[in-house]
Amino acid sequence: MKSWQRYAGLFFLVVAAIVIQQSIWVLRLFDHGQPGSGFMPFGLGVILAILALGLIATQRGPEERRIPFWEPRAWLHPLLAVIITAVYIVVFDDIGAITSVVVLVTGWLLFVERKSVVVAAGTGVLTGLVVYLVFDRLLQTPFPRGILF
Amino acid sequence: MFDIVGLWQGFQIAFSPVNLLWCFIGSVLGTAVGVLPGLGPAATIALLLPISMKMGSPVTAIILMSGIFYGAMYGGSTTSILLNIPGEAASVVTCIDGYQMAKKGRAGPALGVAAIGSFVAGTFGVLGMTVMAPPLAEAALKFGPPEYFSLTVLGLLLATYLTGESPLKGLIMAIMGLVLGSVGLDPLSGAVRFDFGIADLQSNIDFVTIAMGLFGVGEILISLESSEAASILTTTIKNVFPTMADLARSGWAMVRGSVIGFAVGILPGGGAVLSSLISYAVEKKASKHPEEFGHGAIEGVAGPEAANNAAASSSFIPLLTLGIPGNASTAMIFAALLIHGITPGPFLLKEHADVFWGVVASMYIGNVILVVLNLPLVGMWAQLLRVPYAFMAPLIMVLTLVGVYSVNNSVFDIWVMLVMGIFGYLARKLKFDLGPLLLAFVLGPIMERSLRQALLMSHGGFGIFFTRPISGALMATAILFVLYNLWAARKKQRGGQATAA
Repeated sequence: MKSWQRYAGLFFLVVAAIVIQQSIWVLRLFDHGQPGSGFMPFGLGVILAILALGLIATQRGPEERRIPFWEPRAWLHPLLAVIITAVYIVVFDDIGAITSVVVLVTGWLLFVERKSVVVAAGTGVLTGLVVYLVFDRLLQTPFPRGILF
Repeated sequence: MFDIVGLWQGFQIAFSPVNLLWCFIGSVLGTAVGVLPGLGPAATIALLLPISMKMGSPVTAIILMSGIFYGAMYGGSTTSILLNIPGEAASVVTCIDGYQMAKKGRAGPALGVAAIGSFVAGTFGVLGMTVMAPPLAEAALKFGPPEYFSLTVLGLLLATYLTGESPLKGLIMAIMGLVLGSVGLDPLSGAVRFDFGIADLQSNIDFVTIAMGLFGVGEILISLESSEAASILTTTIKNVFPTMADLARSGWAMVRGSVIGFAVGILPGGGAVLSSLISYAVEKKASKHPEEFGHGAIEGVAGPEAANNAAASSSFIPLLTLGIPGNASTAMIFAALLIHGITPGPFLLKEHADVFWGVVASMYIGNVILVVLNLPLVGMWAQLLRVPYAFMAPLIMVLTLVGVYSVNNSVFDIWVMLVMGIFGYLARKLKFDLGPLLLAFVLGPIMERSLRQALLMSHGGFGIFFTRPISGALMATAILFVLYNLWAARKKQRGGQATAA
């Protein structure tokens, strides 16, 4: 776990570097002698860099007890969920909000939860119907129209 | 002593059929999310933010959200007692003795004492708020930009140090929150910051998007890692109304828990978790039978449950009077108020007295609703634990996706939410507390505006934060707090090295 903490420290160090670079080169640290739009971000970048270095420094040395970041195959379900959600967002505008909800729930129950096709599709259609009634009809959310609605 | 007319008007608002209905819905939803492990009150409030925008009245929206927040404190004990899994973070301590009581066939009295303690403390907390909030708001009217900057610095530091395991990680999260809060339009000059040529980033990132990503999507992804289903302790829930002997043992624990919870809840970051931990330690010290703690002592359930409810109520005091949210849930309520065009702070009581007193009055009503829901109907809530999470996870995901789209009708917001969800998932796995990030995101604009206005006032001199009495006192407290914690950490490290040698 220590190595992952060090990677996290490196990530925050990169973020700090970007914030500092933008504050100096893109924004203004001072404007007419007064703090400008880059003033506070610059300070935040410097503090973040110090804290990130502190995190890396405290995570040096060998681990007393090796704890895996993921238990065996524990990453699979979250990854599948992220992929299915990404697919939902990609097709959202093209096939419409309600149809993409049906696709998301059906896909999730099929691939993440390993439910049968009937259960997955049934739950998907039912969820799509509820979303249609609550958000589209009742709350009148301007969803993109797609292939079904 | 307090504004009785305001409170009376508050009750008139809270007793209107619409508000009464939403208070009931909030209490039911709160109890449900408290009972269900994995979905906390902050996530639920985040999920409902888009729906709250459709509500015409801000009072109604805040009544709903407050109900969810304090309702979750009631419901959290059920899972702790029956499953030995905290329904939400504040009920961790209740597991210790609550589950032991359930194993001995005393689940009923444990659940009953938890509900009664919650009611006593919740009502005490609201009473305290009724009395304390108006004078505090009056005092806060004297605050200028330097005082507000010092207050936000102190608030963020306290929240960072008191909530998580590692202050270093908490501080990193707080800075990340401030950085994210600065994306988009600069509040003073109007310059665009950190847009990297992406048009959608030129307006500020929406709070709902961040909150739903971190607390909605992040929690779903974490919950998908464990496939093991928890089993409800096979015990019959009977005698939920405690005996006189049980009440005699737990009565003072409830009183002490109420006072501790109220005091700790006012502190930013203090909140429900810390107060329940302190209450448990106090009860163990005060008990004539400390050896029973850990083996089913009823005071070990009554005290912490009272403390977390009192803290939930008193955490509204800094939010409504100073405009400083102390935890993730009150940060969501802060955002909801802003969405409805109301700025929480000292002027709230003057300019939107109906909102303030309506919400306070609804809390009295909500506490009564909750004790009725939780005492006789506790068996029904226990049944909720049988709903398979396999179906709940995609449904919650749909609610977050559709909800976040409905705020700005923007697909880009859904992408941002997914990215924040992945960030929240990884941060949780690495034991980073996300509360400070959200608090800092909310406080960031206030902090920056105050800092720059104060520096304008002083022509660039930082002395203004130390020379004005209130600001100086707040800054001195912040510095002393950091120095004390550094000293304590150093001492602990040296102690550890000496032991190892």
